[in-house]
Amino acid sequence: MKHRTDGTAGRAGVPGGGPAGTAEEPVAEIRKLRVEVGGRAIVDGVSLRALPGRVTALVGASGSGKTTTGLALLGEYPPGARVTGEVRPAADGPVGHIPQHPAAVLNPARRVRALLTDIARAQVRHLPRRRRRAAARERVLRALAEAQLPDAEALLRRYPHQLSGGQQQRVVLAQALLLGARVVVADEPTTGQDVLTKSRVVEQLAAVAARGIAVVLLSHDLDVVRALADEVIVMREGRVVESGPARRLWRAPRHAWTRELLAGREEFTQTAEVSGTGGPVLRVRGLTAHHRTGARGTTEVLRIPALDLRAGECLAVVGRSGSGKTTLARCLAGLHRDRRGEILLDGTPLPRSLRDRDRPQLAAVQYVFQDARAAFDEHRPVLHQIARTAVRLRGTGTAAATREALAALAGLGLPEDLVRRRPGRLSGGELQRAALARALLARPRVLVCDEITSGLDTLTRRGILDVLTALLHDRDDLSLVLITHDLDTAALAHRVAVLDAGELVEQGPARHVLTTPSHPFTRSLVASTTRPGGGNTCLNSRRDRGLGHHGRRTAPPAELWS
Amino acid sequence: MSGLRSLVARRLLLGAVQTVAVVLLVFALTEALPGDAAVALAGDQPDPARIAAIREAMHLDRPAHERLADWVTGLFHGDLGTSLTSGRPVGGYLAESFGPTLLLATLTLALLVPIGFGLGMLAARHEGRPADRLISSVTLAVYAVPEFALGMLLVTALALRPGGLPPTAVGYGTDLLGRPAVLVLPVLVLLSRPVCSLSRLVRAGLIDALASPYVAHARRYGVSGARVHCAHALPGALVPAVQQLARTLDWLLCGVVVVEALFVIPGLGTVLLDAVAERDVPVVQGLAVVFGVLTVLLHLGADLVAHRRAPRAGVAA
Repeated sequence: MKHRTDGTAGRAGVPGGGPAGTAEEPVAEIRKLRVEVGGRAIVDGVSLRALPGRVTALVGASGSGKTTTGLALLGEYPPGARVTGEVRPAADGPVGHIPQHPAAVLNPARRVRALLTDIARAQVRHLPRRRRRAAARERVLRALAEAQLPDAEALLRRYPHQLSGGQQQRVVLAQALLLGARVVVADEPTTGQDVLTKSRVVEQLAAVAARGIAVVLLSHDLDVVRALADEVIVMREGRVVESGPARRLWRAPRHAWTRELLAGREEFTQTAEVSGTGGPVLRVRGLTAHHRTGARGTTEVLRIPALDLRAGECLAVVGRSGSGKTTLARCLAGLHRDRRGEILLDGTPLPRSLRDRDRPQLAAVQYVFQDARAAFDEHRPVLHQIARTAVRLRGTGTAAATREALAALAGLGLPEDLVRRRPGRLSGGELQRAALARALLARPRVLVCDEITSGLDTLTRRGILDVLTALLHDRDDLSLVLITHDLDTAALAHRVAVLDAGELVEQGPARHVLTTPSHPFTRSLVASTTRPGGGNTCLNSRRDRGLGHHGRRTAPPAELWS
Repeated sequence: MSGLRSLVARRLLLGAVQTVAVVLLVFALTEALPGDAAVALAGDQPDPARIAAIREAMHLDRPAHERLADWVTGLFHGDLGTSLTSGRPVGGYLAESFGPTLLLATLTLALLVPIGFGLGMLAARHEGRPADRLISSVTLAVYAVPEFALGMLLVTALALRPGGLPPTAVGYGTDLLGRPAVLVLPVLVLLSRPVCSLSRLVRAGLIDALASPYVAHARRYGVSGARVHCAHALPGALVPAVQQLARTLDWLLCGVVVVEALFVIPGLGTVLLDAVAERDVPVVQGLAVVFGVLTVLLHLGADLVAHRRAPRAGVAA
């Protein structure tokens, strides 16, 4: 079944001359895979070769069949699927899997060591019984060290929920390494992560590839694909649109769809001139917010001396995860009560808690959450839930509210037959539009958008950002607070406020802050983000900076790209 | 760890308050019942003068709050009071009848855990197949039969014929272990419903856990089927099962009135029934304290197990 194929052209060796240096034999291969569910092909005619030490990226919007292809490598298919074509999973070793949400594959009721020990135990059967335990333990510790998890002894005793998202991901990676996987399938490993975490994940996966393991990366995050991929396969609606060496594909995409996908990032760099001439709608004065830690103690997580939001203005609040962005948003919306200082809406202080705000105040500040699916009741049609806003907050009659909701939804590109369904039938992007419509139906003065585009693929994200731009343009009285870790999204705003560890380190016009940042933290944030529109040279520097920046340099050298 | 300790402290405090509330409620209810111990003692000769005399001798003519205060003062000295009808200390009275109840509860639990978990795991393993259907429908059917009905049925079928099992424990006193045959029917009846509810909970929890991504992940990485079931899927299913087990044990220890009455077993349930009939307030109150404390401790124990097994969920105090 093995096919010897010629090596990929134009590649200058593999790092370190390791085990991967000579082998060009794919460790796993898919040929002409077709997966059909209920008569509909979700993957059609996909071929893929996972080469040792190489990163093969499957790129495409959500629903393009990336995950189905990735799971096929693991020998798993959706229930009731009809599969044709040839899948040759790794013959001489199992396949590792790093799913999009690592927490889902970690047993919440068992300590971290449980599965690791079980995997290791199977490998030490040949040893005499009394030496097995020590040998298994040693293997587990080695795998954790290889996955760059320090303090492994303490970590093994913890439960998954006591780990950060990054640690969870590395534990799952350690399981794959312990297994001796020759192929690792990483499904959207960077979705919803901030820039610095992303570069750590990139570093991590590069290190895995450097060990001679074939990495199959499923992602819609072009930054990560750019930084890692040797081979890129662009997918759309279950079919391969284009594939080839990353460098060629990036420089000269042959297919229109690839060009569109790659162009996705360059849309929003042109900021509208500073409008927002009106007076401040929302003024924040001397705000400090606290989180409870343990029974009695509290820690201060946010300190904002002064921040204004003018009418018709879009203010982006940027920072890494854990910097207090969301806490600020929740303070504005009355969802975080443990705060001091004043939040003034048109000069009147807003009560701390949502419960103490009257209906006009509730309507004036509306919140759109990151996870749109969790923000809807899955058992009721979307339309009813949206119309309810007008009924509750503005006292509109049910019929009138439904008409208004339909108009608002149509304005955001959601047809009536779609919104009469339940949330489960809508895609993530569609639900996020619906959530926006729901907030807008309250006729808010201030719309708080908390990471509403992270977790969406490039094209869907572009659609949502288009909607936001149009909103700002059409409605003079509406002000936006855009919470984001993505500087390209922030570029959409008129003004940017930068948070670091709860402190407001810098604020000013977007163009000014993003191009000539004055605070060192902002500079590091801007530096670690790829500026769009760059060619190969930019990729080079990205590799240097993104990986070299954080000390441990384990990635393949940058010469690969030249 | 301090979180766990403060949880335990909070729960114990709350439990003490709950026990006090139960005692007060029980006292108020027994006061509200028509008649008192004097009326009950007077029996067939309800001569008002005689009743008044008995009442005075028992100090029942004093106001209710004084009697309660006396009893509470005694409680702080470890004295549960004296039975009105027999004149014996309540503490000794309860200790004596706790034996049979504890014996029944222990036996039932020792059989309940393996049978309940075994059936549940067996059904989950064969989900949707004949074995599962059989277990599920039989457990549902048995669960639907009340204890007294099942007890009567078993007595009729197994005891009321020559060479059958003894239908009641009359004549064996509190030494039930001396004649194990006496215990067969009561334990069978006590087991019937808890086995059904436990096995159904284990089945449901296990099926959920087996369908979870983390079990798929463990299987993918070559962990054997039995180990996946026991070490990776079962811990997730354990929490509701342990809570149910605590409820069952609570029910067993606090005197299963119906079963004890049916088989005439001199346990706490029988004592409770007699004490209420005789308006023996100190005994009823003593039982309320014992039941309250047992309930609080058992549920705290179950919550601690749950806390350990599903630490993320937290436990409401």
